[in-house]
Amino acid sequence: MSDSQRWLSKRDFMRVAVAIGGTSALSACLERTETPDLPRGTDDPSSLPPRQHAWNQFLERDDHGNVKQPRHHVLLYVDYTGDTPTESERETVEAAFTSLERAYQRGFQGLLFTVGYSPYYFERAFDSGPGGVDLPTPEALAPFEDPTPDDPDAVVHLASDYAQVVLAAEEALKGNRGTVNEVEVTGFGEVFEVRDRRTGFIGDGLPAENQDVQGIPDDEPVPEDAPLFMGFKSGFEKNQAPEERVTIQDGPFADGTTQHISRIRLHLDQWYDQDSRSQRVGKMFCPAHAEQDAVEGPGDNLGNDSQLGSCPAHTEEDARTSGMVGHAQKVARAEDGERPVILRRDFDTTDGDAAGVHFVSLQQSIADFAATRQAMNGTDVAENSAVGTRTNNGILQYLTVKRRGNYLIPPRQYRSLPAPNPA
Amino acid sequence: MKRRDAIRAGGSIVASATLAGCLDTLGFQTQSAWRDPPLPSNRPDAVYYPAIVEEMGMYGMKEVPAEGVTFALMFSYPHRFWTVTGSNKQRVVVNSDDSLHLMASLWDTESQTVLPVDISLEVLNDGESVTQRSLWPMLSQTMGFHYGDNFSLPDEGQYTARLSVGPVQARRTGSFESRFENSMETEIDFEFDTTNTYNLDLRRLGTKSGERGAVEPTMEEMPAGRTPMESALPGEIIGAASSGDATFVISYIETASRFGDQSYLAVSPRTPYNRIMLPLMSLSATVVRDGSTVFDDILTETLDPVFGDHYGGTVGQLQSGDTVTVTVDAPPQMSRHDGYETAFFDMPPIEVTV
Ligand code: HEM
Repeated sequence: MSDSQRWLSKRDFMRVAVAIGGTSALSACLERTETPDLPRGTDDPSSLPPRQHAWNQFLERDDHGNVKQPRHHVLLYVDYTGDTPTESERETVEAAFTSLERAYQRGFQGLLFTVGYSPYYFERAFDSGPGGVDLPTPEALAPFEDPTPDDPDAVVHLASDYAQVVLAAEEALKGNRGTVNEVEVTGFGEVFEVRDRRTGFIGDGLPAENQDVQGIPDDEPVPEDAPLFMGFKSGFEKNQAPEERVTIQDGPFADGTTQHISRIRLHLDQWYDQDSRSQRVGKMFCPAHAEQDAVEGPGDNLGNDSQLGSCPAHTEEDARTSGMVGHAQKVARAEDGERPVILRRDFDTTDGDAAGVHFVSLQQSIADFAATRQAMNGTDVAENSAVGTRTNNGILQYLTVKRRGNYLIPPRQYRSLPAPNPA
Repeated sequence: MKRRDAIRAGGSIVASATLAGCLDTLGFQTQSAWRDPPLPSNRPDAVYYPAIVEEMGMYGMKEVPAEGVTFALMFSYPHRFWTVTGSNKQRVVVNSDDSLHLMASLWDTESQTVLPVDISLEVLNDGESVTQRSLWPMLSQTMGFHYGDNFSLPDEGQYTARLSVGPVQARRTGSFESRFENSMETEIDFEFDTTNTYNLDLRRLGTKSGERGAVEPTMEEMPAGRTPMESALPGEIIGAASSGDATFVISYIETASRFGDQSYLAVSPRTPYNRIMLPLMSLSATVVRDGSTVFDDILTETLDPVFGDHYGGTVGQLQSGDTVTVTVDAPPQMSRHDGYETAFFDMPPIEVTV
């Protein structure tokens, strides 16, 4: 073992391994930790749910019933190399996915994945958008941002509690491994070409162990028990859209969903060095939470609900009288009835040695995401109050959106190079 | 990760050596004096002369001709300041690895009107991002209204500052109506040289410190964000009163096309002594006539070529004897440097009779 590996803690090591990727990272990973004895997957695809994004039933829940996201993630950005998909190309891709499903059980202790296709894919391959789904090319969603549009043909999202699993699955798809978990696998062959990989993690302890990056002060301020860099727990059961709500209900892609992925840079020097705990609570949740000191540590005491109560309804009033509005308070204004319309599956990253977030969000239509993001911009609030474009305006001051991408995640039966009107 | 650590380690040796040396020459004996210098013991709840005022340096100004605006980037020693949320302030002391204080400002080139719009600053070295953040809107006696923060740079040398803003969110009127609607960006190159930074002049105000008053803004090449003199404001001045040590000049315009041909109430709050603009407030107003309320609404922050940054509303025709009350719903949400941190918090309503 090299010196640089010796001082890395096990968790840190796993994160670094996922970030580096490739077969060498994988073998280092396997060498260092006992290969977990993982159950095999299934030979019977029909036993799996028709929805690719049906993950929640395969994920662990915490004591309060909140879904826990898998700890390690890879986003594999690929381009389709052909002109118009052929049956044999579809079979190659489908074989790769089914072989992964044979190798690993679907779940946080095995593997979870989705594959989504961009509007560029449909235009390039078929000169037409996907049937029954509005899939716009990505655009800026705030007046003060200027993101680069991501235009790969497809993105595979791999997730597991085990770093080894996401790495092995990635290598299998790339055709670099013949077996994983003692099961024979096949890759994408020539059908897809990898153009980018983005990696990350979420879960108690991981952000604290990986905070030696740009965007976070040097004195290691991220709390040991925080699941995310900003120090708070996110994704309470009551503040997530149910999977059903984000599922496309009819048309050729019924049982599919849309996916928005933003690449966000975090700037937490001010957050940790200059804001007080009370200001952080107020800016993340709402001023009332700060006044009542309602959040303990990362927020486990909140249970399964961020407990916003009348905060969202008071957003404008808070802006006028408190000079500040909270992030959760603002976005909750985009709720449909009781719950948000987006299902967040975001995670932190140290890609590029900078603190960031890969904000993966699922929703019935991209318009649902845009509406939620508009609520988060709080432009309406800023125009009529002491709150600034970014200053005291939730957490806008601490993040910059660098890239955005939109994808359609088809139902499982059409996940391999779908035509605009499959079936 | 490791490369950066190496740079950092190297950089902080240089910086701390220089810093320690400079502190000595300035007469500061301890690190804590620099971090969080003593405050005058008798600070009033008003604008006061700080114990020490520091000179600013100019790294550069750059015009964006297509938008008719000019950006500027200035520097000084790392500074203590207070951030503001609501009526709470939070003291921000200088961090041991802060290298300098960077300040940015943006104004309409022709009218020299300073624009209230959050500025993001990314510092690059050889095309690689070193640090990035959204600057705090700030008020200081030597700079006036600007945006800024303390920064830690890995080393002395050549850097590029990428400054960017979104559209101005305040309502705009007159010739500003269709201006400042786009995102704007510019880059200013600068050389971080600790000798330069720490050679900036530093003046102790002696017995004056802690007394009510303010020194004049010192930057000559650029506007400090001053509001027009009372005599230069259009319309009929129906009152000027002080609240929380800010001066509120209230003007009434019978009719003007740029305010929708309606009777318009313009409230122009400013700092005492230097007339610096006070954006990021929530103001509302009522008009009471013969015991009944004829107007009760918020005033909208507005950027006008003549009034500059002010708060306005269409109130209907005022009559002699009307009572106009302006209420401060939230004080200016700007970070404050020494001398401004006790003013503009407790701001009672202002009442004037037409
Ligand atoms: C990038 C950093 C971000 C962090 C650290 C963050 C953190 C949080 C936290 C702590 C909460 C409250 C707890 C919860 O209910 O989950 C929350 C709520 C929420 N956030 Fe974020 N968030 C971030 C970005 C975003 C973005 C980009 C969006 C999408 C526009 C978003 C949408 C939401 C929604 C929809 C809620 C639930 C609101 C409700 O209760 O209806 N967040 N976030």
